[in-house]
Parts: sequence; C-alpha cells; structure tokens
Amino acid sequence: MASRIEITLKPDILDAEGESLRRKAREYFGIQTDSVRSVYIVTIDAALTADQLRRVRTEIFTNPVTQISSMDPLPVDADWIIWVGFRPGVRDNPGATAVEAMEDLLGVRLGPDEAVYTSKRYCIKGSLSEDEVRRIASQLLANDIIQQWKIFSAASWNPAEGVGIVVPKVRLDHVPTVSMLSIDSDDTLQRLSDERNLALNPNDIPVIRAYFLDPRVQAERARVGLSDPTDLELEYISQARSDHCNHNTFRGLFHYLDLATGESETISSLFKKCIQEPTLVLQKQKPWVVSVLWDNAGLGRFDEDHFYAITGETHNSPSNMEAYGGAITGIVGVYRDPMGTGLGSCLIMGSYGFCVGPRDYAGDLKPHLHPRRLLDGVIEGVRDGGNKSGIPTPFGQVLFDQGYMGKCLVFVTALGIMPATILGQPAEQKTILPGDLVIMCGGRVGKDGIHGVTASSETFSEHTPAGHVQIGDPYTQKKMHDFLLEARDEGLIRFITDNGGGGLSSSVGETALYSNGCEVQLEKVPLKYAGLDQWEIWVSESQERMTVAIAPENERRFFELSARHAVESTVIGRYTDTGKLHITYDGKTCAYVDLDLLQAGFPQWQFEAEWRTPEARGLFEPVLREPGDHTSVLRDMLARPNICAKEWITRQYDHEVQGTSVIKPLVGAQRDVNSDAAVLRPVLTSQRGLAFAQALLPFYSKIDAYHMTTCTIDEAVRRLIAVGGDPDHLGGVDNFCWPTIQYDPITNPDGRFKAAQLVRSCRALRDLCLAYGIPLLSGKDSMYVDGRLPGRYGETHKVSALESLQFSATSVIDDIARCVTLDPKMAGDLVYVIGTTRNEMGASEYYEMLGYVGCRVPEVQAEAFMQCYRALAGAIGQDMVASAHGIYRGGLGVHLAMTAMAGQVGLEVDLSAVPSSDHDDARRNDVLLYSESAGRFIVTVDPNLRASFETLFEGMPCACIGRVSADDRLQVRGLNGSTIIDISVPALKSAWKQPFGDLI
Amino acid sequence: MSPINAIVLTGYGLNCDRETAYALEQAGAQAQRVHINALIDGSVALDAFQIMAFIGGFSWGDDHGAGVVQAVRLRTTIGDKLLDFIGQGKLVIGICNGFQCLVNLGLLPAIDNDYTRRSVALTHNDCGNFRDDWVHLATDPASACVFTQGMQSFELPVRHGEGKFFATPDLHQQLAASGQIVLRYATADGRPAQGVFPHNPNGSIDDIAGICDPTGRVFGLMPHPEAYNHWTNHPEWTRLKEKVRRGQADRPSDITPGVQIFKNAVNYFVS
Repeated sequence: MASRIEITLKPDILDAEGESLRRKAREYFGIQTDSVRSVYIVTIDAALTADQLRRVRTEIFTNPVTQISSMDPLPVDADWIIWVGFRPGVRDNPGATAVEAMEDLLGVRLGPDEAVYTSKRYCIKGSLSEDEVRRIASQLLANDIIQQWKIFSAASWNPAEGVGIVVPKVRLDHVPTVSMLSIDSDDTLQRLSDERNLALNPNDIPVIRAYFLDPRVQAERARVGLSDPTDLELEYISQARSDHCNHNTFRGLFHYLDLATGESETISSLFKKCIQEPTLVLQKQKPWVVSVLWDNAGLGRFDEDHFYAITGETHNSPSNMEAYGGAITGIVGVYRDPMGTGLGSCLIMGSYGFCVGPRDYAGDLKPHLHPRRLLDGVIEGVRDGGNKSGIPTPFGQVLFDQGYMGKCLVFVTALGIMPATILGQPAEQKTILPGDLVIMCGGRVGKDGIHGVTASSETFSEHTPAGHVQIGDPYTQKKMHDFLLEARDEGLIRFITDNGGGGLSSSVGETALYSNGCEVQLEKVPLKYAGLDQWEIWVSESQERMTVAIAPENERRFFELSARHAVESTVIGRYTDTGKLHITYDGKTCAYVDLDLLQAGFPQWQFEAEWRTPEARGLFEPVLREPGDHTSVLRDMLARPNICAKEWITRQYDHEVQGTSVIKPLVGAQRDVNSDAAVLRPVLTSQRGLAFAQALLPFYSKIDAYHMTTCTIDEAVRRLIAVGGDPDHLGGVDNFCWPTIQYDPITNPDGRFKAAQLVRSCRALRDLCLAYGIPLLSGKDSMYVDGRLPGRYGETHKVSALESLQFSATSVIDDIARCVTLDPKMAGDLVYVIGTTRNEMGASEYYEMLGYVGCRVPEVQAEAFMQCYRALAGAIGQDMVASAHGIYRGGLGVHLAMTAMAGQVGLEVDLSAVPSSDHDDARRNDVLLYSESAGRFIVTVDPNLRASFETLFEGMPCACIGRVSADDRLQVRGLNGSTIIDISVPALKSAWKQPFGDLI
Repeated sequence: MSPINAIVLTGYGLNCDRETAYALEQAGAQAQRVHINALIDGSVALDAFQIMAFIGGFSWGDDHGAGVVQAVRLRTTIGDKLLDFIGQGKLVIGICNGFQCLVNLGLLPAIDNDYTRRSVALTHNDCGNFRDDWVHLATDPASACVFTQGMQSFELPVRHGEGKFFATPDLHQQLAASGQIVLRYATADGRPAQGVFPHNPNGSIDDIAGICDPTGRVFGLMPHPEAYNHWTNHPEWTRLKEKVRRGQADRPSDITPGVQIFKNAVNYFVS
C-alpha cells in the first residue's frame, strides 16, 4: 500500500521555484499569473507503519522552519493545478536518496519491490484559460518523453484525493529469453536488422553470415549448445560495428574530386591520415605527450609527478529529445572517460558548448523543443551534472544558428589529473591477465538507452519504461569516483574503462581483447527491475557504471572499499585467454563468439566527395559602401546573440570548486567580461597552471570548411597564448559534428559536397596541427546532425547543421603568477595590435548582420602567426604585458569594446596605425573594424616598457594604435583622421548586456 | 608542540575535501580526509582531532533539502559523539553544504545551548538559481566567533542554490543580540548589502552569510574560505599583480583571508 506525503513552503516564505515559473510564463508566452506555489510530493511504495511514516515525514521530508507537510493533500489555494511526475523507469534521483535516508533513519532495509517516487504539483492563481495552463504544463514543466502530467481546474480538484497516489513502477511481466535467429539468407538478416533496429550496414551482412556458416565455427558452437546466432550475439556485433563505436565514417574510403581543377584523390581513413599520423609524428617530437590514440582520454605531462587527461564528447540526439536529461547524461558520461584513463584520474574540470536555434525563433518550423526551452534544459543539465560532481566548469560557449534547429549540439569536455606512478608502476599503462575478475561498479542496469532514441517514437503504456532517454545521476557517480581513486591508490586496479555507449557489450567486449577472452555470467548483473532479456542486459547503456579488472587476490579489499563508499560493485565474470567471448545466463550459453571476428574482413564504408569552390557555388563579395554611423554599428554588433553577454549562464556553473581557479570565466574590473581561456592550479601545492580554451566557428563552413577548421584551431591556440600559455605545449581535442555525408539523390542531394567539406576539414586539421605542433590528445566525431521538422502546412523540412568543429586546446604554464587577463590595468598604457588585418570579411558577424555571406574567408598563415605567438609568449613570460586579448568573432571593433569593458576604462585608438595587408583593399574603416582575420591580439603595455616590448616584435606586424585613457570613452579615429566611434563604456556595456540582461 | 589535527569529512557527494584539507594545512593544521562511514564504523575516532570541518558539496545530491540527509545519517549514527566533540571545547566549521548540515543537525545556532533543535534554515536563493560569484563580507566585531577574530571585511566566493538564511523575527533578534551573526554580505566598502542583489546573492534575511553558536566555537557560513587558498584565486588578482609590479601596491600576503579563517582556528589551540 503506497502512501503520499505532500510538502510545501509556509505561506509567508517566498517560493523561488514558483516565482521562476511565473517569470518564464510571462516572458516566454505572455501568460500572467497572480501566484504560483509548488508542492513537493513523495510517494512511498513500501510497507511502513503509521509511526514510521510520521518519522520520515517530519524528520526527513519536512523542514520545520520553512515547510509544512501532510499525508493528505495540502489545502493550497489555486485556480489551476498542474501535476508533473516521472514516467516509469525514468531515473528519479531524489526518489533513490529518499530510500537511503529512510533506511538510515528507521534502521530498516526496503525490499526489492519497494521504492520511493517524487513528483510535484504547481498551484496557480490567476485567470488563465485551460489552453494557457496546458501550455505551461507541456512547454515549461513537463517533457512527454520522460514525464507524465495532469491538470486540474479548481472545479475538478478533489481536495480529499488530490492528484491521487501515482506509483510509476516498472512491471515487465516478462521471462528473460534468448532467441536463436535463423539467417538463411542475406535478405533474412537484413530483415532481422530492420525489425530489431540493429542498423547493420548492408555490406557487413555477408561477412556476419559467413562467420556463422563457417563449419569450424558451427562445430565449436554446437559444443556449447548453440547453432544459429542468438539475439545477444547479433546485438553485440551491431553495437561493435556501429558508426558510434567503430567510427566507420572516419575510417571510410573517400573518393575526393575537386570539380574546378579536376584533381582527385582517394583517401583511405581520414582518421589514419589526418589524426593518427600527424599525432604520432608529434608525439616523437614532444616528450610531454604521454598517451594518445588508444585510451578513453589522452594524457599529457603536467609536471614531473602528474599527467593530465582530456577528452571531449557530444550528446546531441538525446539532448535534442530531452534537453535536461540528454545534457546531464552527456556531461556525467564524459567525466567517466578520464576516470577510465590509465589506472584512473581525478576529475579537475569540465566545459560546455551549446549550439541551438535562435532563442527568439518565431518561424514556421516546429522542432520537438523550442530552442529557448532546449537551451534552458541543456544549461541546467550540464549545470547539475558538473556542480553535483564537484567539478568546476570554468569555460563554455553558446552559439545560435538556424541550422541547429534540426538537431542541437551539446559538446561536453572533461579533464582529469593523475599521479605519474601508482606504487611505482606507470599509471598510464594497464593490461589484463587471464583469471582477472570482471567487475561492474556503480549504477544498476535497466532498459536505458537501448537502441538510443529510435524508441522515442513508440507509444507508451502506463508501466512501460521510458528509459531510452536517461537522466544522469552525478551523486552515484561521485561516490564511485571517490571509491575508484582510493582503490587505484592502493594498487587494486589492473584495468578500468567506462560503460558508455554500448554498455557491457562495448566495455567488456573491448577489454577482453587484452587477455584475449572472457566469460560473463549475466545473471550476476544487478538490475533496476526484473524482466530484462539477456541481450538487453548486455547492451543497456544505463549510466554511472565502470568496468574494472582486478586480480583475484585483491577482491576482498576492493569490496571492502566499495562498501565503505556505499558503491555497488559486482563480479560478473572472469577474463580468459580462450579467444572467445563466452556469455552465459544461469549456466546456459547465450553467446560464444570469436573476439577477432570484429577485426576481420568487414568492408570499408565508401563516400563520394565533390568539392565546388565558393565562386562555383555562386558566392561573391557584397557591394557595400562604408557605413556613416560607426558607433551604432558597434552597438548593434555587441547586441548580436552570438556576441552579447551571457553572464546568466556562466554564473550558474560552479567554476571554482576544488579551489584551483586562477583565470575565471568572467574577469575584469567588474568581473563580467569573458576571459580568453581558463587557467587552473590543479595541483594545489604547485605553482604550475593548466590552461584550457575552446573555439567554434562553424560560420566559415558556409565558404570553406578547410578555413573553418584552421581558424577554429588558431582561435583556440590564441586564447591560450593570450593568458600566458606555452607555445611549446599545445594539446588538442577535435570534436566534429557534421551533417550526413552519404550521397542520396532524394534524401541527401548535397551529400557529396558535405563529404568534400569533411575531407577538407580533416586536411586542415592535419596541416595546422603539424604546423603549430599540436598533437591530438583525443577526439570524437558525431555525424548525422540533421533533423526533419514539420512546417506550417504539415510538410517536413530537412534541416542540416553547419559543418561544425569544436576544437579544445590545453597548455601548461610554469608559473601561474605570469598569467594575464584581457582588462587594461592602468590609464596611460599603450594599446598594441599584433597581427595583420586583411580584407577577410567572408562569413563574418558583420556580413551576417547585414545579410551577406561573402567569399573571402579568413585564412591562417601558420608560420607568420606562430612567430608572433612566440614573441607574445616571451613578452608575457617577462611580465611586459599588462593585458592581452585575442581578436575573435566580430573583429577588432568588437574586441576593442571587450577590452574597454573589461578594464572599465576608455581607449583612444587610431585605425590608421593598425597593421594591415597592402595587397588587398583592407584599408577601409569597416574592414579594419570587423574583418575577422585570424592571428591577431590586442595588448596593453606599460609605456616604460615600450622599447623592450617593441624589440621583441621586430619585423613582425605589431603596432601601437593608441592608449588607455583616464576617462571611460572608447574613441576610434578613422583612416581620414576624424573620430568615427565615440561611446562611453557604460553605453557599450548596456548594449552588450541588454539582450539577455534580465536573465539570472 | 603537538600538531593540531583537523578532520575533513568526505563521501556521499561531498566535494570540497581536498582544498579544505589544503587550506587547513596552509593554516598550520594537520588535516585528514575521512569518509563519513569511517567515523560511523569507528575505524577513525573523533578523539584525535581538535577541528572538525563539514565541507561543501552536494551530499546525497542535495535532494530533500541541502544537507538534510547528511544530518539524518550523522544524527542517527554518531549524534552523541558530535555533541561530545563540541562539549569538549573543540572547534567545528561548516561550509556551504556543511553549514546546511550543521543547521539541520541543530548544532547551529544552538540557542539556549540546545544543540539538537532545528531553528533556522538555509533555503532556495531568491534569484531562483545556483550562483557562483565573489561577495564582500563584513564581520560583527562583537561576535565571539573564534574563526573570524581580528577580521573585519574581506571577499570570498559563494557557490550555491540554497543559501538564503531564514529565521523567524524573534529568533533573528536573539541571534543578533547574542553576537551569533558572524558574517554579513556587504558592498565593496564594507557596508551591509541591505538585501540588494547581487551583493546579497541569495536574499538572506539581514544579509546573513554566517552564524556561530553561543560559544563561538561552532561556525557555519555559505561562502567558501577554502576556495580562497592562494592569492591567484581572487577574481582581480591580475590587476593587483600589475599594481605591485609598478610599485602601487604591496605584495599580497601568503595567508589569504580564506586561510586566515582556518589559521584563527589553529591559533585558538596554540595560544
């Protein structure tokens, strides 16, 4: 018999949650409410006595100072009531901690069928229509994919029954079964693939059949009682062969043709040619590169005694369906990668990159979630995932573009730190010996994430789990993180890896290669609820799990520590050297596959790639005369969504937990302007710093993804140099997000062009990484960034994202006291521009504002740029620079404004002094102000250091363009000598902050 | 002289253990990070320690009210040992989630020396969101709080979603009268924030950022002293550096205000 506790704030206490709902209803939909009070509902499905219920109600769930509660519905006055609860099987984190608290308080253990569920009801006062209430419920509060909701009018509300007692328990009533599947022909296997959502590539099908039809294989299988492949075996192969796990696109065969020159090239594996080869070359040159290209994250040397780990991921499709759940699962998931790198590292920071449609989108396309709601959700998801893990989030980017209406991008990046040795053994190495135990740690297994989001279109019944969209659980993972680090330091861990995409199938399947075999007893895997088929247990992507291999003699101590940390760990099998993956359930074999099956014989994916030059695609430079009102241009540029202030997001992220913060995300005199990069002091006893920055410039892909890529990498590097990064230690992480590149005349008519963009982007990655000396410590690709959106008339539109690359870069700084920020520090200091401004306005923010794309995209001149970067790094290293800032999106005009706003000081500058190219028509005020030429900085310098500073830059494009003034005006003199911009810093700030200014 | 031993509680989603231990060491203590369960099962005894730190983090995910479940677990298992610790004249500091836990245990504010009653609350920020920002703080010079002796105004970071201090008017008056309101959010010139956001980041009544028990030996605060453990933690340190370089300011002390709070605790036993 279930009971229900209702809890609410005392009437005289402000209901911050209710108020924020009111604010959103007003701002998003213009719906006015008089008041909103929230009631928290705890539904206890457990056999407790009345006295036990009273104790948990008063001692756990009710704060006597601020709250009231009752076992009956609370009489909160309302014209409308909205109730929102989880669907069955959706992770209810507060429900799980409630069980822990109740067990502690009462000294009892809840049974396997007992649980606690949480939900909320919102009591709204005001004269709202039912439609308006529905809108609040469905578009602000609940997402049908994970939640159920009901609305009650005052008339329909029964004060004695309230919302009723809703128990969203999963009941499967299913006996786990292994099915043998006949594959008598390729067609049959293709049909099975379609029916079971295996997504097998048609070219793989004959290879799979050939294996199971091989007489040797059949004879061996007969000995363990198998003939036809089992469902579990086909699921295993499907997971392992998926693009997600196997990177078939990046390992594919590209036939590239330049239609302008007729040049053609066949490239086998972009990964090998453009990522692996250059990184291996650089690893030989750079002793600080510790471990790359094989583990969950790459490792660079931080100091004599420590390595840092870094990797980046995306979680686009899940976030697009359920923004909060997708994003929190993404960040918590990427945190497991450094945890599973080497013998395990301690997480030290995370970062985010969100690409969504315009926040104020009011057009005809109907995405599943409006970009505004989607953005709110992903912000909150990454916030809770990072903050609750106790990991600082000191860097992030948000970008709006209509191309992301089809599918949003959610980039999540994680860094960790580890000792160089554990009990004298190298911490970056690991292996598995036959006989080692297979251990699953952390969360339990449910139907989560099985076959990803394809299930989202299926209909729901009252008790079917909606687990394909997940909600990450940072609490469970944080406990596991602390436990595993302790186990590592005691030398108990032989191998560790995370359970992410592909679940056990992927983690056990891949680790078994180290010992060359394993046996798994699936019935030992702890489940969230009974009734999962064996193949579901094997491929479930339930979160917060790691797979660990330990030597049998360490079992006792490992489990002691696991219990100490309240972490569930289970031995689920044993590694062998039989060459086989042997899975049983209650002693009966459900899979018996040769591990080398996946290595052999699968055909490469093939792509046609056709490059057309921008000119051939009809792009041209707009015919524009220079504006007369430059001050207004600057003001409007600062208010552009991709330029304007987003402090409201930054401050929701804990960016100083762990006490390591050196350069924060917001700096300057008023601590409100974005820094170029984040710097941490990850080893508290050391003066060394770790610098981190990211860049994302997909706009340039409108012209050429080659230059998009080089500019993106260049920006990330410049960000590091600007804070004091070391040009000899630059680590990179590439995260590709690309629309579908497989040509299809109907569904993807421009697929060949998009494939060519990918080839060009990868070439650029190789070229610039070699030129700048950036080994790729890690990287991931996420293809298929397209969506099909309903339009006004019921038609659907395919919307593809811009070809996007997020590039992350790291550097190590010897002494953090050398770091600089972008804010000018003293009036009278000299303002320098380093780097050449060219007429490279193509795909600039300025052109975009005026409605153009243009043609001349910024290009990177690697050698000349790097010479300047080294000079600047030298100047910063000698404490000659008071402030430094890269010139990024929006150009010199926007970034002079950032500089002035950060210092809260005026600048007097003269455009005629700006180093610019003689070969093109760069000497125009708007070009100098808004061209986005790469390789440039704004630096301020103490006038006493003028001579020594300028000496460092001899022969390089570096010029003094003015000074920091004592007043608070940004004054820009144009080429003809007259002042063309004159605006106060507060006016700049108000323009820059206005778009999202009232958000907190 | 024998070292001053400090215990830093860890586990269950707490997360400021390393930097709190580091700050305590900077202050001259010997700090040990101890899992809550190690205290409960007795494998670590409280007797060996003079200072106990309840740290920041998200214990039990902050579900059901920040610090609530941690308080339930500690009270039901080692509640009497905590009372003994305080009764022996030792020091307790609760930071952020730790402060929330102390309040839910009743160890603060301990009006009338009742260390078991929940009489004040830390609830959701008025701004409706988690917020990370540095704040100015001003101490009550009349307060008996051991940890803030000799300190007047300084800056620390806040990072919380549930930091709004709440008490009934009667209780609030009692706290003020007995010098238990140790820290208030302030403006840059040290005056009370008077509820104005973002100086008062959460809507706390009377700008309250930290309180102590009547003895001044149990201290809870929402801001994070341990996150100001080095001069480069301060948001404007690069500005200060440039002033120092040009002879316009003094070199910052190695002992930041954050570390000073812990140093005061250590000095309490030394003197």
